[in-house]
Amino acid sequence: MYSFRYVTRAGLAAAAMIVAFAATSRAQTPVGYVGESTCVTCHDNQQYKGTAHALTSNARTPASTHGCESCHGPGQAHVDGGGDKTKIATFKTMTPQQASERCTSCHNRGSHALWSGSQHDNRNVGCITCHNVHAPAGAKMLKAKTEADTCATCHKNIVNKQYRMNHMPVREGALSCSSCHNVHGTQNVRLLKTGTTVDEACTSCHAEKRGPYLWEHAPVANACVTCHDPHGSNNDRMLVAKQPYLCQRCHVTSRHPPTVYDGFVLQNSTNANKIYGRSCVVCHQQIHGSNAPSGKAFLR
Amino acid sequence: MRTRLIAITGVLLLASAAGARAQEAAAQQPPPVQQPAAPNAAEQTWLGLIDLGFRGSSTSGDAARFERYRDLQSGAASQINFNRDTPQFNVNASAFDIGLTDQRYRATFVGHGIRVKGGFDSTPLNYGYGTQTPWIEASPNVFTLDTAERALVQAKTAVGVPQTVADLSKVSIYRTISPTFDLSQLRQTGNIALAFDVNPGSSVDFGYQSTRKTGTQPWGASFAFNVANELPMRLDNWTHDANAGYEFSGDKGMFRAGWAASFFDNNVKDLVWDNAYRLTDTTPFDASGYSNGNGPAQGRMSMAPSNSLESVNAMALYKFPAHTSLNGALTYTQMNQDQALIPWTINPVIANATVYKTFPELASLPRPTAQAKVDAVNALLNLTSRPARNVSFSVRYRYNDHVNKTPTFDAREYVRFDAVPEETGGETEQFNITENTVDASMTVQVAPYTSLKIGYGYDGFDRTGRAFSNMADNAFRASIDTVGNQYVTVRGMYEHVIRKGSGFSEDAIEEGGAQGGLRFYDEADRTRDRGTLLFVVNPSDVFDVTFSVASGRDTYNGPGHEFGLLDNDNTSYNVGLSLYPKGIVSVGANYGRDHYNSNQASRNANPAGSDYGSWTDPNRTWTLNNTENVNNFNLFVDVPKAFGNKTNVRLSYDYSDSDNGYLFGGPRIQELSQNVALTPGDTKPCAAGLTSCFQQLPNVTNKWQRLTAEFSYYFQKQVGVAIGYWFEKFEVTDWATVDIPGQAGTARIDYLGEISTGYGNRPYQGNTAFVRLLYRF
Repeated sequence: MYSFRYVTRAGLAAAAMIVAFAATSRAQTPVGYVGESTCVTCHDNQQYKGTAHALTSNARTPASTHGCESCHGPGQAHVDGGGDKTKIATFKTMTPQQASERCTSCHNRGSHALWSGSQHDNRNVGCITCHNVHAPAGAKMLKAKTEADTCATCHKNIVNKQYRMNHMPVREGALSCSSCHNVHGTQNVRLLKTGTTVDEACTSCHAEKRGPYLWEHAPVANACVTCHDPHGSNNDRMLVAKQPYLCQRCHVTSRHPPTVYDGFVLQNSTNANKIYGRSCVVCHQQIHGSNAPSGKAFLR
Repeated sequence: MRTRLIAITGVLLLASAAGARAQEAAAQQPPPVQQPAAPNAAEQTWLGLIDLGFRGSSTSGDAARFERYRDLQSGAASQINFNRDTPQFNVNASAFDIGLTDQRYRATFVGHGIRVKGGFDSTPLNYGYGTQTPWIEASPNVFTLDTAERALVQAKTAVGVPQTVADLSKVSIYRTISPTFDLSQLRQTGNIALAFDVNPGSSVDFGYQSTRKTGTQPWGASFAFNVANELPMRLDNWTHDANAGYEFSGDKGMFRAGWAASFFDNNVKDLVWDNAYRLTDTTPFDASGYSNGNGPAQGRMSMAPSNSLESVNAMALYKFPAHTSLNGALTYTQMNQDQALIPWTINPVIANATVYKTFPELASLPRPTAQAKVDAVNALLNLTSRPARNVSFSVRYRYNDHVNKTPTFDAREYVRFDAVPEETGGETEQFNITENTVDASMTVQVAPYTSLKIGYGYDGFDRTGRAFSNMADNAFRASIDTVGNQYVTVRGMYEHVIRKGSGFSEDAIEEGGAQGGLRFYDEADRTRDRGTLLFVVNPSDVFDVTFSVASGRDTYNGPGHEFGLLDNDNTSYNVGLSLYPKGIVSVGANYGRDHYNSNQASRNANPAGSDYGSWTDPNRTWTLNNTENVNNFNLFVDVPKAFGNKTNVRLSYDYSDSDNGYLFGGPRIQELSQNVALTPGDTKPCAAGLTSCFQQLPNVTNKWQRLTAEFSYYFQKQVGVAIGYWFEKFEVTDWATVDIPGQAGTARIDYLGEISTGYGNRPYQGNTAFVRLLYRF
């Protein structure tokens, strides 16, 4: 049995340890800085004005600390070397992990806290794979114009699913990839932003399907994606296969569930109502779970 | 306890503040931090765009699908954006489609240690504008049918719910009293999020979101195998989400503690509807009423119950030397649902003392409310280390425990379809799931820009209520990534996963009435092979070519696996081209093709012992092969700031099609096709007079195209005009959508065994044109 009290205590103990560590740390005395005004003497096209990095009212931003050198490191040697590129940190020559380490020295909380060890970090994808601080094309300093374009760089086959007959309102602009995913790392599977399971992520919007119900449907209790493809599908309700054949993948019982629902039945039998329209769920409407005492087969 | 928590939290806050002050002191050492730049005129000025105009739309066919999640009605169109960036703060506010059902508003403020973000979104979901129903909503979610028509149907002097092919030649009496209506719902969300920096190292954050769903959605409400219905179910619910957290970060790491909650409140507790097959309750009840339609005059079902979810969570990151870090998260979640339960049935023929003598458990409910509860714990740990530039390690462990604590509900006596009391119900079953996941990998830089990663993953499940009490995926992965090279990027991955179950109980399957050879595909033994390859070539700064392929195959190959999903595979190709010379124009094109294939098996049989032995007859087995091919094509041409920064031109074209085939096979199909019984003792499968009673289904196909063209011209520095045109065309053939014969695109709501709303997949063609006045500043 999980005790709320013990979990809370454990969390607070961890907090105390980390606070103690962090509070005793000291920033290293920086040396070799030349200041931003020197940098822009040559790099006048590498600005970051108008971005969150330029806010002087935030003590953690480059503008409030060391300007360009907040990310690129002290520039004195670079200047003294007549612009020697080997004497300053250049993101172009870093590995994705090295670059990300620089970014996460500040971006280490909020939605970025679990970056290290996340799926993208583990696949040699770094911050600069998707973001460009100096010349972004899209919001959130993305290199591409849109989130979908960014994700499509690697996940084109997934992004293409928004064009299928049944889809979330992504191509209409009401949702985007980040509505469900936090690409910077999460405690859920598949980089899902909310909750700790697939179901919790889906029901954060579809709360009417959250339950818990009196009568539960086993695959629903496990994961919505057993039956649905949330990225888009040519089957109704974004199902991974068309009804009734999706249901028949599991319901191999007697009588009506394993009937051959073919063109003949569709045209000649009252059993056609198990093929066309809502198919199985015209009767088993409460397929996500029923709260009716007589809801055993999800009929009520 | 609460006092102690508050005290500990207070101490932590103070400690973090002290730590942050120490850092501030360190940061004050030379060299000096950047001095705030003197604000120039541009920084003090609002930037923005006011885009107002007129939109005209014309649609043929299924206009609701054209407007699926948006509002394209003719009338005013608007898009407004304000932006102001200064060294002290950034402000942005925007509005889109003001006053329409897809209106959106956003505002953000960042600065002075405060981040505020708020918005309001409205998103329609339009199912159909020409849907029909004979039911009238007398009160919220109480649907009545005209008694005169029902009396005629019960007397079998009129066709109500068509039962035979002969009935289809007539018009159902209900079709004649079914007006058209808009079947649509609206989701409206308002939210605000606030984060405040207590000091440079720590912050507190709060968020609140309210979501309201209203309108109607198609919903099944049936009485028997031959009396299925679809109604426009009323939606009226709210979801309130809230969260709060405290974060601290320093040079060595970070810590976060948070709380989140979600409360769903449904104002529609149940659905009551009249039977389209009967006016009066069958008295006494007919034990076959669930199949022949001799049931009640009215039905009742429970709607989505109001519920809540609350969680507390902690997250931490600590950085060790040698590029090593450990992060983790711990979350404890409680879900509750205690909605009042509806009675066993609304049917007075069953809910009475006479029936209770035979079914005593139906006299009362075991408990008045659901008392449903789930406790869940999730823990995550990530350890990564890059001790050398060329080598890194990563280990990830995740634990997730979902414990359903809902007390068992005894429903061995229950009422099926409000029509028949039975003793075949059983008890409720709660599904507990414990998942342990470990991923470990090592990455080695094997060549310049190129790293090779090998990894092992374990994903183990312990579950209750399933055929396999345990199952585990063992995954072996290898990937190679060439990144950072100016000319070429290559990413490849291969994964081999073996899933094995243990603790299998064939009894658990057979108790549910299923074939012993059935294996559920979400737990069955499986071998999975997947691979992806991404290849990007950048010959120059203005040109790149991308090729990607992803392929996978799942084979369900465990011992005794005879029925259910047997295998599925998929392959996806994409090739793209981008061209963006000198920032003047950008052109992009992509072609993609996806292929899916699956095989499943089933057996068309009666229960064991009820006939000659069809339950075990291999000649009753049938298979289904499902194949889908999808093509995608996208093209865009973007010419921004042409002709002296006065003109913007953007063209795009998107295309997608699908061809979905269903091919039945196996001995049962031979029996049905030829009307023969392959096994002695079996009877011929077709009705008298038929030589065949099988027909393959035609493919389900669709094709969707969208063309958009937008042209804007600034005739003054700040003032311009824009015109735009959208064209969208959707073609579809789907045997699951039934139209009136000879009237393609017009729904038939009275087809075999059902009165529906007529919602389905139908073609449309839409044209939308804009004329807009632009004012930028």
